[in-house]
Amino acid sequence: MVIDFTLDLRGEPCPFPVIYSLETLKDMKKGEVLQVIADCPASFKNVPEEVVKHGYTLAKEPYKDGQDLYFFIQV
Amino acid sequence: MNRITSKIFGQYWNPYWAIGIAGVLSALYFGLTNTVWAVTDKFTRLGGQILMLFGIDISDWEYFKLITIKGSTFERTDGWIVWGMFIGAFITILLSNNFKIRIPKQKRRLVQGLIGGIIAGFGARLALGCNLAAFFTGVPQFSFHSWIFMVATAIGTYIGFKIVSTKWWKGKPVLKKGNTATKVENKKIIQPYIGILVAILYALLVIYFFVTGKPYLGIAAIFGAAFGILIERGQICFTSAFRDLWVSGRATMTKAIAVGIAISTLFTFVVIVVYGLEPITKIAAPSTFIGGVLFGLGIVLAGGCETGMMYRVMEGQVLYLFVFAGNIIGATFLAYGWDHVGIFNTLVKSGSKINLITELGPITALLLTLVMLAVWFAVAVFWEKNYRFGTGFKKGGMRQHGN
Repeated sequence: MVIDFTLDLRGEPCPFPVIYSLETLKDMKKGEVLQVIADCPASFKNVPEEVVKHGYTLAKEPYKDGQDLYFFIQV
Repeated sequence: MNRITSKIFGQYWNPYWAIGIAGVLSALYFGLTNTVWAVTDKFTRLGGQILMLFGIDISDWEYFKLITIKGSTFERTDGWIVWGMFIGAFITILLSNNFKIRIPKQKRRLVQGLIGGIIAGFGARLALGCNLAAFFTGVPQFSFHSWIFMVATAIGTYIGFKIVSTKWWKGKPVLKKGNTATKVENKKIIQPYIGILVAILYALLVIYFFVTGKPYLGIAAIFGAAFGILIERGQICFTSAFRDLWVSGRATMTKAIAVGIAISTLFTFVVIVVYGLEPITKIAAPSTFIGGVLFGLGIVLAGGCETGMMYRVMEGQVLYLFVFAGNIIGATFLAYGWDHVGIFNTLVKSGSKINLITELGPITALLLTLVMLAVWFAVAVFWEKNYRFGTGFKKGGMRQHGN
């Protein structure tokens, strides 16, 4: 899997991880992969659930490294 | 961490369970103590105590006469509900190895948190309760003011969402090409051990309360910690219950909270009827509506309400220290304006305490409340299915939202 873009949102509180992810994805091309790194605990659920609901797919299972969360979202 | 603890503390709990249990506990707490789970009047007291520290005489402030500052926070049950929430949340955060000092990269967030906190603190106290007393415990007490508050909060959060979506408020993240992740080296996991230590010390304190003849403080300390654990583990967020509908049509919290309130309503109803307790009713007045709108606006600007803020502070989210400070400042402003600026006379005096049980009889009140919650749930389901980020209800529409 090739990661095309990275959005490092560590420190950003809700709802910005969801807003930023969806905004960025909207401008990306089909097939591209966005990596989102967040540490707001609520984003553990709301980022993956919202991107899937909006028609994107998770290219890889999200994982947790210490307190940081990594998401891989494909357009 | 071994497997069982990581199963319980490694992942978040289903919010329906978390808030459902909180609903049962809050009804039980009402039955045991005849008071409700609430937090914001403590913030006002804290504000009053800070003013006293600076030598300001508040003895003639009517608002403080209304809520009475008696004894220190450590000698009061409502004080221990608040401390318990902080400590309970902190214990499970440590057990799940999730404490981290989180500082927003965009410094404007801190100012936003403070401003939002002030507005929310002011609004909550104007309405005589935040999302707990005027909402999560207010509806189950059949207090009509909570219905007004709920509608007003929804309106306020919409205004808040509009402001948060503007470029100058939202700011811009740094988008980098390729994979720029920097690995954090694996550190030894010590947080769970500290968590266990804090839990043991807290348990000893609770035992101390019971042994020294202060059972009510012990009960409050237990319930406070349980509430803190539940809201943290379920990531219960009243702000997101409204805000996320406007943002991306997310209704997880909206639905979970409706279910939680329904459960609490049933149990509270049983407590009221079986024990013949008088439900706790607050004044419904223009202040309830205005307070609700301000509260809704403030929590969205701040990114959290008075309850969510509590566990987020303990997670190490620095932003919420500013929100906390704002909440106290806002609540204290309200206390000052209550008689000095005439808030009571213009906005509160004309109101009255309306309780659905007294007005409609117990069965009708119960049914009406449950129907209202069912409608709320149904709207949330519809919203979740049809509302999308950027386009709202229009499918693939051209409506420009939030950019």
